[in-house]
Amino acid sequence: MSTTSSLASWPWRIASFLFWYAKAFVMANVYVTLDILRSKKRMKTSPAIIAVPAASESDTEWTLISCFITLTPGTLTLSISREHKILYVHGMFVESRESLVGEIQEMEDRMLRALRRSPGDLSRPLRVPDVVPVDEPPEDEVR
Amino acid sequence: MEFHDIMHGTGLVFIFLGIVTIIVAGIGLFRLPDLYLRASAVGTSAGLGVASIVIGALLMDFSWLNLVKAAVAVIAQLLTSAVGSMAIARSGYLNNSAPAEITHTDDLLKTRRDRVTDPEAESST
Repeated sequence: MSTTSSLASWPWRIASFLFWYAKAFVMANVYVTLDILRSKKRMKTSPAIIAVPAASESDTEWTLISCFITLTPGTLTLSISREHKILYVHGMFVESRESLVGEIQEMEDRMLRALRRSPGDLSRPLRVPDVVPVDEPPEDEVR
Repeated sequence: MEFHDIMHGTGLVFIFLGIVTIIVAGIGLFRLPDLYLRASAVGTSAGLGVASIVIGALLMDFSWLNLVKAAVAVIAQLLTSAVGSMAIARSGYLNNSAPAEITHTDDLLKTRRDRVTDPEAESST
């Protein structure tokens, strides 16, 4: 993609992300509201904490994607690992690992396309790397 | 005059939507089983409720200055409610608040040094 054509489509990409996000936001609100008002036996909540491989690079992108995920009712960013490129997302209605991962990655794809002048590389590691605690935690980490 | 009435009515609708959202969020606080579900469902729903009330008030008393004020208020409200929910949930996790039993997958547990499985043993501190 040449520089001029990607620059020309930038406003369009920003607008399309904002509209898509507004729609997803309202839908998630309705879904969560309905579930709260259901009787206890018919509640469909099946929460899970899933490690989602992410494609974000800069500070801005990491901050914005975790804010957008948290802003959507029903999903919540618990933690991120920039070193391993993982977002730890708590989801309220998680049928399978793949469904939540797909949902989050679609949002991230759209956000990165809106945020970057040219989208560039959106590839992610296919498999989540195993993150285990190291013996000597770096000073700047909480745990 | 007609246009003014329409704006006034739409403003009322938005304010009532906001009130309903906040009431539902309050019900959710009682009905959801654990900290994370409450934070994710309620924190941002309450943010949306306040934003909706601000938009309603803007429509009832529209001026360009108010539009700017409302835009700033809505953006700041949504941002802070998101960051607040994240901070609460994260600190809850670091303080061994175990997810409810219906939580079927927990990838974050693998990264923990102590791998807490029994919340009773930890909650005494």
